[in-house]
Amino acid sequence: MGRFRIGFFWTSLVSFIIIYGLIKWSIPFISRKITGMPFPLPVPGTLMFMYMVLAVVAMFLYITFSEDGLEDFLYPVRRFLKGEYGTVPRGVVLAIVPLVVGWQIYDISIPKISAPVSLRIQHPSSNFPKKMEALKNPVENPTDEEIEEFIEQAKSGEVGFIPQVMADIERWREENPDVHILSFIPTEPVKRFLEELRTGRVDRETARSALREKNLFEGRALYAMNCRPCHGDSVGGDGPMADGFKLRPINFTDNGTIETIVEGYTFWRVSNGGPGLPIEATPWDSAMPMWRLNLTEEEMWKIIMAEYDLAQKTPRIPEKHEAEKE
Amino acid sequence: MRYTSTTTRTVITVLFLCTVAYNTWAGDKPTKPRPPVTEEAIEKGRVIYFKRCSFCHGLLGDGNGPAADFMDPRPRDFTLGIFKFRTTQSGELPTDEDLFRTISRGLPGTPMQGFDNELIKNGLTEEERWQVIYYIKTLAPEFSNPEFDPSDKVVSLPATRPPYNEETIAKGREVFKKAKCWECHGELGRGDGQKAFDRTDDWGFPIRIRNLTHSWKIKGGTDVEDIYMRFSTGINGTPMPSFVDSLTEEERWYLANFIKSLQHRPTEHTVLKVKFIEGEIPLDPESPEWQEAEPMDVRMAGQVIFAPRWQNPSIELVTLRALYNEKEIGFLVEWDDPFKDVVHIEDREFDAREISRVGAYNSYVNPFEMVPRELETFRDSVALQFPVKIPEGTKKPHFLRGDPSNPVNLWIWKSDLHNQGKPAVEEVNARGPQQPLKVQDPDSQQVQSKAIWKKGRWSVVMKRPLITEDRKDIQFVSGRFIPIAVNAWDGSNGEHDLIMSLSSWHYVFLESATPVKVYVYALLGVILTGLGEFWLVRRYR
Repeated sequence: MGRFRIGFFWTSLVSFIIIYGLIKWSIPFISRKITGMPFPLPVPGTLMFMYMVLAVVAMFLYITFSEDGLEDFLYPVRRFLKGEYGTVPRGVVLAIVPLVVGWQIYDISIPKISAPVSLRIQHPSSNFPKKMEALKNPVENPTDEEIEEFIEQAKSGEVGFIPQVMADIERWREENPDVHILSFIPTEPVKRFLEELRTGRVDRETARSALREKNLFEGRALYAMNCRPCHGDSVGGDGPMADGFKLRPINFTDNGTIETIVEGYTFWRVSNGGPGLPIEATPWDSAMPMWRLNLTEEEMWKIIMAEYDLAQKTPRIPEKHEAEKE
Repeated sequence: MRYTSTTTRTVITVLFLCTVAYNTWAGDKPTKPRPPVTEEAIEKGRVIYFKRCSFCHGLLGDGNGPAADFMDPRPRDFTLGIFKFRTTQSGELPTDEDLFRTISRGLPGTPMQGFDNELIKNGLTEEERWQVIYYIKTLAPEFSNPEFDPSDKVVSLPATRPPYNEETIAKGREVFKKAKCWECHGELGRGDGQKAFDRTDDWGFPIRIRNLTHSWKIKGGTDVEDIYMRFSTGINGTPMPSFVDSLTEEERWYLANFIKSLQHRPTEHTVLKVKFIEGEIPLDPESPEWQEAEPMDVRMAGQVIFAPRWQNPSIELVTLRALYNEKEIGFLVEWDDPFKDVVHIEDREFDAREISRVGAYNSYVNPFEMVPRELETFRDSVALQFPVKIPEGTKKPHFLRGDPSNPVNLWIWKSDLHNQGKPAVEEVNARGPQQPLKVQDPDSQQVQSKAIWKKGRWSVVMKRPLITEDRKDIQFVSGRFIPIAVNAWDGSNGEHDLIMSLSSWHYVFLESATPVKVYVYALLGVILTGLGEFWLVRRYR
């Protein structure tokens, strides 16, 4: 039995189809397996075009590498054009080719209706007031007096909370009348602080951590009341309202969102919302409210603190020279 | 030889890793053995509960956290031991796996989101989810009573089920009629059954019967298996019964297939193509011409941007169609609303001043106390919003009522005016949500309308001349992308004024006839290729 050869022309055609198939279906298939996500990552049209052009160029070089190769390649084409495979197939192919070309031209030149694309800058700085660059979160950085005051409050069992959480704490208090008011916070720093209160020797750093826990609690409550409907329980930008906005709420767990900006910038964005954005950031599409119309500065700082904590990110530290200018 | 074996090994390893990656995505079923119930695990669960759950479910687990008053449905009260979504018989406690499923995938259409960290980065790991379940179970005494142990009351999913096809769906439709599902859920599953409004759940809160066609709001899951489970177990605390005794296993499968077939898949495009027709633009919403226009589904959200904020919208989808001729443009606007509300009592509108100031307790509207959610109180209404001028470039007015320098033009259709036989559309202008709407002069009111409410759906046609004399009106020209947004109000959901649903900007595009040059180019292509072929054939002859 002799070796079956299909000739240079057909080999080239089959290779071309295989390359197309690999790019079109295998890459999305493999991507789905690798990412483990329920959807494939398709190859973009332009990339597809570039890959195919490369494939054609490579094949052309290979075919025209030697005179024999070119001869071998053109042999079936010539025979076909002479009608040696039969005049009917020749007629059919010769009729189809111009029609395909015409259809392609029609498809390319017919006007397509797709929404105009508007480019958007996510962290615009053109109207960000420079003096806010070095702003520090006052809730995250309490003064010594504030810590002392908190210790005194804790000693007398009269810790002050924002009104939004009071009703819930009071109901808890009725069920647990004999323990310290802060015991509803079950985290380690508060446990340590309460332990030190009992022994009477309170370290300021322990108190600072406990105060932080108390502020985080209030911040999380305010986040749940105000921000959660869009930004979601897990700060994933996927709250119950998110699907209704074409410009989706930001996912704070994404790299390149809140960790790449300074706290002062976060505060500015929360305060001024979509309407406070410059034109390059398409303010008309942003559903972000102008929170300074409804929240106090302290409430906003508490929310920002809780938001970074929930996202497990830290804000960018302001650059030295900015801080020195002050 | 060595080379080959290394390659083979690499390939096998990669394939193995791929399989592992694929399987771990499963989500709502645990993939690892669960940790033992220890004091330490419960204590860890307590901390997780405090950080992630207490703001809605309350420090005591009684469903009264600070955010709870502003959401409907309200968060679950864990101290009662009543759970809606189970695989156990009606009235029983859920299994641990049931709680695991609910925490992992959440309850779509409610504020309870999924916490599966494979799907949401900062969710909870499997171990953390188990820990919080162990803690939640300490909140209701029923869970520690061996008498109530649900493990032998699980409704198992039969191994065999009929295929999903036309025939089984048709059989399911018969079961839907026979079991009287339509009495509550409505003939077409839009939640518009007669008994719908007077029902309350065991906690005394009004029941919103689910619109079965809106799959993204179905709490118990959208797969055929999930649906089967819902009427096999019932939904505790609600009038939704179990059909285990009244329907056979097979009938329940058919019914599940039918319910699945009701789910609507919203379109995803954002450009509404306005079709050119010869002759009149029909005012009648049921006129067959409308079916020829391509529909565009518009997703809506609650108006949470400007106080008074509203996170309990009932209208989440509005479908638009549009037609035009030489003189006029018409829009068909359709949305599901189980109750026809055609009166409006202005005295009962909510005064939002108190909740709108800086430092107010909350700028969201409490749906149980601040607004009446009753029949015959507020009108149903819908508005189409356009910029006053077609924007040059990308710059637009803000999608919520525009802004001081970029006004918008709204066509507000009102069901009470429609019901009184008056012109039902008001043309108004707005420059941002902080300023009241400005109604245009009577002689500038040119939008005509006609509406019907049928089987839980409003269909409203609004039409107007393409071009008007009024400088405050949008002028429609073909070949331009004209921004459009939708506002909608469901009266019996307490909605009026800024307490509403709204959409982001979409576009309207008036289709023009295909330019002749397109055909010329295509024809030229055909001729040139043909000539080339002719030359080749002659050459090789």
